[in-house]
Amino acid sequence: MALKSAIRNLRNNPNLLYVRLPNLVSFICIVVGVVWLLLLPLNEYSRQTYISENALLPGQVHAYFTGSEQNIFRGYKKELEGLLNDGQARGGQKDEAEVTAALSDKLQSILQAAGLKVATQKYEYTSAGITHQGENTYAIIHAPRGDATEAIVLVAPWKTADDELNLNGVTLALTLARYFKRWSLWSKDIIFLIPPDSKTGTQAWIDAYHDMHPASVQPLPLKSGALQGALVIEYPFEHRFQTLHIVYDGVNGQLPNLDLFNTAVAIAGGQMGIGANLQEMWGHDDSYEHRLQTMFRGMTKQGLGYATGAHSSFMPYHIDAITLQTKGEGWEDEMALGRTIESLCRSLNNLLEHLHQSFFFYLLMQSNRFVSIGTYLPSAMLIAGNFTIMAIALWIRTGYYPESKPSAKPKNEKAPTEEKGTNTIVERNTIAERYLALPLSLVVGLHLLGLVPLWVFNNVFHQYFTTTTYIFVVVDIILPLLLAAILSNGLGVSKPIIPQQYHLIKSFSLLLLGLSLSTLATLNFSLSFMIGLLCAPLSFIPRLRGSVPFRLATSSLGLVLLNLVSPPAVLLGVCWYMGVSVETVLTQAAFGWDVWGMWTQVVVWCVWWPAWLIGCVLLGSSIF
Amino acid sequence: MALLFRFLQAFALLLLASAVVAEHTSNWAVLVSTSRFWFNYRHLANVLSLYRTVKRLGIPDSQIILMLPDDMACNPRNAFPGTVYSNADRAVDLYGDNIEVDYRGYEVTVENFIRLLTDRLDEDVPRSKRLGSDAGSNVLVYMTGHGGDQFLKFQDAEEIGAWDLADAFGQMWEKKRYHELLFMIDTCQANTMYTHFYSPNIVATGSSEIDQSSYSHHADNDVGVAVIDRWTYYVLEFLETQVTSVTSKLNLGDLFDSYDESKIHSQPGVRWDLFPGGEQEGRLRTVVDFFGNVQNVEVENANATEPGSLKEDLAEIARLVEKWQNRDEEYSAMLADSATNVTEDLHSSSLHLKLKSTVGPTKMAEDSSWGKRLVGISVVGACTAIWVAGSFLGRSSV
Repeated sequence: MALKSAIRNLRNNPNLLYVRLPNLVSFICIVVGVVWLLLLPLNEYSRQTYISENALLPGQVHAYFTGSEQNIFRGYKKELEGLLNDGQARGGQKDEAEVTAALSDKLQSILQAAGLKVATQKYEYTSAGITHQGENTYAIIHAPRGDATEAIVLVAPWKTADDELNLNGVTLALTLARYFKRWSLWSKDIIFLIPPDSKTGTQAWIDAYHDMHPASVQPLPLKSGALQGALVIEYPFEHRFQTLHIVYDGVNGQLPNLDLFNTAVAIAGGQMGIGANLQEMWGHDDSYEHRLQTMFRGMTKQGLGYATGAHSSFMPYHIDAITLQTKGEGWEDEMALGRTIESLCRSLNNLLEHLHQSFFFYLLMQSNRFVSIGTYLPSAMLIAGNFTIMAIALWIRTGYYPESKPSAKPKNEKAPTEEKGTNTIVERNTIAERYLALPLSLVVGLHLLGLVPLWVFNNVFHQYFTTTTYIFVVVDIILPLLLAAILSNGLGVSKPIIPQQYHLIKSFSLLLLGLSLSTLATLNFSLSFMIGLLCAPLSFIPRLRGSVPFRLATSSLGLVLLNLVSPPAVLLGVCWYMGVSVETVLTQAAFGWDVWGMWTQVVVWCVWWPAWLIGCVLLGSSIF
Repeated sequence: MALLFRFLQAFALLLLASAVVAEHTSNWAVLVSTSRFWFNYRHLANVLSLYRTVKRLGIPDSQIILMLPDDMACNPRNAFPGTVYSNADRAVDLYGDNIEVDYRGYEVTVENFIRLLTDRLDEDVPRSKRLGSDAGSNVLVYMTGHGGDQFLKFQDAEEIGAWDLADAFGQMWEKKRYHELLFMIDTCQANTMYTHFYSPNIVATGSSEIDQSSYSHHADNDVGVAVIDRWTYYVLEFLETQVTSVTSKLNLGDLFDSYDESKIHSQPGVRWDLFPGGEQEGRLRTVVDFFGNVQNVEVENANATEPGSLKEDLAEIARLVEKWQNRDEEYSAMLADSATNVTEDLHSSSLHLKLKSTVGPTKMAEDSSWGKRLVGISVVGACTAIWVAGSFLGRSSV
């Protein structure tokens, strides 16, 4: 009986169903989403990594790169050092040594002497008023018994991802080129690429390799087959190293096949006895905290979507690539790194087809532990789902609630059980007509407005970035209030907004947000998760009623809080916390947009910012 | 009396046994690797090792069907071009100079394999690709590759099931394509592959039980891959060290007793029940009965009593003729009985018999034969008249 009456009550008074329940479900979605993510590092939810591709056979070959090759390494290094010193004598400190023409000639002559075909490529990029130019040198070993349809790339940039001079790395690449040339067991061509830096060179080269280069980049005079994998070598110091740091994040959060990472870990750790680290976690003790921290660092890089090294540029072309960085002070020398790379090349050489067996979507939390997309995806999906649930609930609610007497509504919310008068029941069951024009045009208009900051932040000269950000903070404070005032009072421009339209605006905005984020979650989980969390308050913004001082006080407080999570404010906050200048970050972002094809800004300005703006407008309309 | 009977029985058995031992007249070997790709180097090495062994023990290339789905010797990844080794010491190049691969690359398919066994091949298929075994042939079938519960993967896209294989052997038996057959298989869950065999005279052995993996023995760090599987390695070790010549008297029992699970890392299995005499008899077959080449010649002597010999066939036919004659006599006797004993059934059957016994030219029924002849003559006459009239009329019109 009790159940029956409860159902009847619910039917007579769907307030609970439309107003209370969605709030509760949305909130639970967010909480479960976050808790889900926090559970992932546990043994029960994460998995041990394993080599999925049988053909790789990591560490099964003996690596012979030792002994006399070291003398060759020293010889090459001396030659390059001499030329570098000449360059330094003429200009600047060591780390800013320009790749002079003499140096480039030397590279070419060394590679040519080793019997490789050599070519160069000049390129130039302009972004945020800064011009990046350089010249790539590369050489190809044609597989003596292979069919030249596939190739592996070894990259040794002159400057590492951290802008240090990578002399040992370049020398090692030259030595390996000479050494590899003498083996006759290559089934794939091997390309040695020596770009001047880690940011632009590989991008220009890989774009040109696939004929996708802009006009400012020269085409490649020499090409080989389809690229199967790429390894980047970084050894930027003179002393011996302790561990290998494997960097794997690509542009837009794309990742290389997990098998490549696993192979590198297996060879470094298993065969060579060199420890492997990831995500700059040096003292990883495999505890829950460290795993979580590793995962969060990975997610941050994935979410921001910038290139973390020379390997990142390969990812958009579906070429699996990683960077091997030497770290720490230990007893491993350049020969050990060379052997690791030799063994890795032999493994890649064993491949029969493109790496495809293992995961492309994963979160690593230790060099031998990961979660795959099936396990982690629900987390971001739940958070994205909360917006969709709210949007649907609001849509239904606008259809059933005429709400001709606005004063009745707060009472409904406070005490739904008291409402049993026939009067209200009749009122609820009336099907309302939705006034869609204003909500639709507002939501679409504000999303289009997002193109303005997108354009501005990608095209302003780099020295104005900081100013622009502050201007946008101010704009973000004023614009919502202005819009709210226009909407609430008309101000002669339009008719004042009615409560139904308020709900519709919120519904459309959340619907778009939910859709975009759930789609994004499958492509870039971390970005979707981060934006989802930052937008979470938008689901619960109420339209306040009551006395004027109360509304004024509450909504002002709400607006202040919301402004703290506005895109420019978050940017400033994070920059302050990380101790980097806003200009650096935005220059990097603009560079990413112009050169790497980074899409993070689009998500920020065309998904997050409009949703946030509409949230502010709705809260602000409570004031007026 | 009983003792004498026993003695006679034992003597007969001995006679029979000696007859069976000398029985097969040729040896054939079908050696199949079913996997391609560089990382499956060891499967080709397995087969090539066995190929080398059977050749060493005398089976000529013309009687070995070698199926290799991939060419490891010429793989660009091979650090030692043109060679295949099954041991990291690289003492013996299995590819060597004398190797005849009968089915290679994508010719190695389930269909081709079954067609080969059952001889359902087109006329234009050369002899090198045919299994020319007959009722006097001992056949060795060795298979290796990647398998599972009751299947063995061929190449990358198809597989042969345990029933397919059992039926192929069944057909071979019906078509008298083997005398005795030794089936060996080295794959994961290998023993499941011979569970469905039903044709007689088969001894089957495999490397691992159901739900067990078969493992590789060791890898060559310069070639960079595993070079041989464990079970095959230890079978070969036995063959190479113990069965040193074709005169070896070691028997299958010795070979199967040499299995050491602690070395093989899986439980090898043997199936005897299809063999006449079961395990007891089967164990007595020498290893070279299957791995070697016999030079026995079938002599059609008067004493030959084994099934399929001409002598026995003739005797059988004589017996049949005698049986029919007996039956005939019986029937005529029955016919004689039926004259006195009149029952419907018996009468009709005896009448039938009688008709049958007096088969000869008979006249057609007699009724109104003259009338029919008249009709015939008149029809012929009418036709002639029409023809004559027609030709006259035709000429006048011209």
